[in-house]
Amino acid sequence: MTDPVPTSEEERDARAAEYVLGLVEANDLPHLETMMETDVDFARRVGAWRQRLGALDETAAGGQAGDALWSRIETALGSSVAPTVSRVSAAPLRWMALWDSLPFWRGAGLSAAMAALLLAFGMGYFMHQANRQPVLVAVLMTDQNEAAAVVRAFADGRAELQTIKPIAIPPGRAVEIWTLWDRAIGPKSIGLIQNVSGKIDLRLDGLPRPTAGQLFEMTLEPATGSPIGRPTGPILNKGNAAVAL
Amino acid sequence: MTTRVAIDCDDLIRACALGDRSALRALYELEASRMIGVAQRLLRRRALAEEAVQDAFVSIWHKASTFDAARGGGRTWVYAILRHRALNMLRGERRLEFSDAPIGEEQASEDDDPETIVTQLSDKAALRRCLQGLAADRRAAIVLAYVHGLSHSDLAIKLGMPLGTVKSWLRRSLISLRECMG
Repeated sequence: MTDPVPTSEEERDARAAEYVLGLVEANDLPHLETMMETDVDFARRVGAWRQRLGALDETAAGGQAGDALWSRIETALGSSVAPTVSRVSAAPLRWMALWDSLPFWRGAGLSAAMAALLLAFGMGYFMHQANRQPVLVAVLMTDQNEAAAVVRAFADGRAELQTIKPIAIPPGRAVEIWTLWDRAIGPKSIGLIQNVSGKIDLRLDGLPRPTAGQLFEMTLEPATGSPIGRPTGPILNKGNAAVAL
Repeated sequence: MTTRVAIDCDDLIRACALGDRSALRALYELEASRMIGVAQRLLRRRALAEEAVQDAFVSIWHKASTFDAARGGGRTWVYAILRHRALNMLRGERRLEFSDAPIGEEQASEDDDPETIVTQLSDKAALRRCLQGLAADRRAAIVLAYVHGLSHSDLAIKLGMPLGTVKSWLRRSLISLRECMG
């Protein structure tokens, strides 16, 4: 296989322009999608081209965007799991509305007494559970925005991957799992599977402890894994880690 | 487009990241109509364009927390998501349905003409000045690829050039455009 990474400055830039124009061949596309995630310089060039050509989008005649289409969007969102990050951050907004609510505070007084009682009983149980609760969760989504797998990282440094959706692996190929926490270092392989079903343990030893925002992704690779230690095949799904509540 | 709208877009995406569904609705009010237009120029069929816009809004909602204004404005980010989705649909579908019929040949209307599109760009836009500095066929090829999603092979047919020649020729055109725009 020839090295698809353009060397000269101009060629890199032309490559970025072709990506923005949608002129990249289907075979090369997964590679460039990966570069967008891992190659800061390439992503910056793509961004600059989007900026340069964006004015062309302004020349499109507006189509009627009615309530019917919005309803479809809401339906599509309603049935999908809201991103973990959003739920965490959304909480303060809802609390502000409650702060002004009198019925809420009436109920709160009673509830607090009950809660104290429950807490006393519950504490022992939660202490027991604490070690089994993940500290970070990443939901890996497909291109079609379907949740395909969940990565859970635990306080003791273990991490596991659970598949949600069956993944078809062609014969002679395997699915490799990667994580990216520092673009300067690039993605690191943390697992290789021939058979995607159920739960597998991930190899995080030797890597820094996962942090929020860290990228996890699965790519299709040769049966023995990527020959160059970096993703080469198409990205099957990916997701960023968020702090688990 | 004015700076005010660009700022609004950024703010709305940030609010989406906080789980504010009304911000997504506001973004829809602000951009969906133009987005349908952009998608329809790529996909031709209105139903497909709406599907692309729907998918784009679902992605915007889910990816809002990854939006980083330091890497480009919110509006550019929104249209990048839309174009990515529409191009995937276009390339995927063409393999199944349109393998013999270049998209650019269908339902051509006056508004689809690349020269018309270039004159619709703002007088002050560097893109307009630089595109107009290129030879007409180079200008047309870039606009047809971006706006109507023509592939290298579509362009080869349209321009009557061998595929390999089109690739390097278009690449040189893009490099010239880049030199002009800086």
